[in-house]
Amino acid sequence: MAVIVISKRGLSQRTAFSLLVLATVIVALPVLFIIAYIIINGAGAISWEFLTQPPSQAGKAGGIFPAIVGTFFLMLGTLIFSLPVGVLAGIYLTEYARDNWLTRLINMAILNLAGVPSIVYGLFGLGLFVMAMHFGMSLLAASLTLACQALAMTITTSREAIIAVPREYKEGSLAIGATKWQTIRHVVLPQALPGIITGAILAMSRAAGETAPILVVGAAFILPGLPGSPFDQFMALPYHLYTAAAHVPGMPKVNIWGIALVLLVVVLSFNSLAVFIRIRVRQRRIVS
Amino acid sequence: MNDHDSLPNNRAVHGSETKLKTEAVSLFYGAFQALRNISLEVPKQAITAIIGPSGCGKSSFLRLFNRMNDLIVGARVAGAVAIDDIDIYSKDVDVVELRKRVGMVFQRPNPFPMSVFDNVAFGPRRHGRTNRHELAGIVEQSLRQAALWDEVKDKLGQSALALSGGQQQRLCIARVLAVEPEVILMDEPCSALDPIATLRIEDLMRSLSSDYTIVIVTHNMQQAARVSDMAAFLMMEPDRAGILVEYGPTSQLFTNPKDKRTEDYITGRFG
Repeated sequence: MAVIVISKRGLSQRTAFSLLVLATVIVALPVLFIIAYIIINGAGAISWEFLTQPPSQAGKAGGIFPAIVGTFFLMLGTLIFSLPVGVLAGIYLTEYARDNWLTRLINMAILNLAGVPSIVYGLFGLGLFVMAMHFGMSLLAASLTLACQALAMTITTSREAIIAVPREYKEGSLAIGATKWQTIRHVVLPQALPGIITGAILAMSRAAGETAPILVVGAAFILPGLPGSPFDQFMALPYHLYTAAAHVPGMPKVNIWGIALVLLVVVLSFNSLAVFIRIRVRQRRIVS
Repeated sequence: MNDHDSLPNNRAVHGSETKLKTEAVSLFYGAFQALRNISLEVPKQAITAIIGPSGCGKSSFLRLFNRMNDLIVGARVAGAVAIDDIDIYSKDVDVVELRKRVGMVFQRPNPFPMSVFDNVAFGPRRHGRTNRHELAGIVEQSLRQAALWDEVKDKLGQSALALSGGQQQRLCIARVLAVEPEVILMDEPCSALDPIATLRIEDLMRSLSSDYTIVIVTHNMQQAARVSDMAAFLMMEPDRAGILVEYGPTSQLFTNPKDKRTEDYITGRFG
């Protein structure tokens, strides 16, 4: 039996491999550290009362129930306003738009939409929805503002999901005399739906975490109850967290970490849901 | 079923009614000319095969008849293409109506990712037939015609993607039949199938040809010889534009070609 010696080439390959592993671990570490740190520090604050009661004594006591509900309202509002526009625009851009200057301009606008700083969206919402359209500082104005910010994502993911539908399906449908719209409605959209939903959920979870845009269009630090209509002000977890941490002297540290923990759970659970849907769809495609 | 016993090529198709006709048709993709000046007449209720080397424009030619080339940006047709003497490229032709009359089966089986039943019912549903009972009848009849009913009657609710390749292709044929077309275009329908599945499709084509006008593109010359009544040989000019070299009854084209280039091609000297 020949002796197997690790050659120089094998050695350098191992070194490279180790470096890759190391880099990957370094990427994962901060995330794990943040999650662990927040859980360790915030778990003590979590109680039934904390999750179901309104705040009292400037947030030093009581719970964060209105902020949790407010965040869910915001996510829902973002979904309602951004998903239809995103899907319709995605359909138009992939199936109908010709390649002309207008389409190129729109594509460029979508790209830039994603790059606009979030506080700028807030000021835009303040100017347009709060003042010009007289929605006031309200849940509605904040939802619309966040929806504008989410549009870049819903349009892009819708478009990618639609483009990914095999051409054979479309041709098969058109070739038996289905109209273009029937083909989109009955062949393309059902196929693209999981991708579209995944994008919408990610957009919602991002909206849940935004602080800057809602800061100026209607988020309040303390409200005694839940918003009664879309025109009321609201509480939201990220803004509550920011104010509690930065502007309330004597705020118990554990409460601050508790708010962070709840926010993290909301955002991560929605992200996981999106990943779950994607995996499910992929499995179904492989099985069939 | 006499058709199966006698040689298909002996069937009398000469002088029978013309279903499809092209007159001096040229096809352009932007500046590129894909077809040049092609004139031929496709007889009714017979099988016409289009053969020729890869890239000679066979598929492009086939797609003239249901205007699938319309989907390609920059495609332009000159000359006339007619079904029953109606010019299908004239302004007042409804492409959707045309495609109901001229169905198409593709190279790779492309059943929709839905149930077997929904695949066959897809066309009729889009054309406004929603009565469950009526749809069930159409689905059964179409699947029987496509010689698939016995294999799938117990799994109509299952995903069509679970069928074998050959079954999927027959399902696609059933899906076309459900729309009650007059013409069926087949674009190399067996190229993704094994020999046994191929033979089943060929048998099916023979039995369908008594009711439908079939035009098939194939790169398999044995298949063209086995299955078709008429055959057209296309090849390309040096600038890659497809031209019609020879067109006639299959028996004649394969046994006694008039053009030297046809002879070279069918004897395997090029292509």
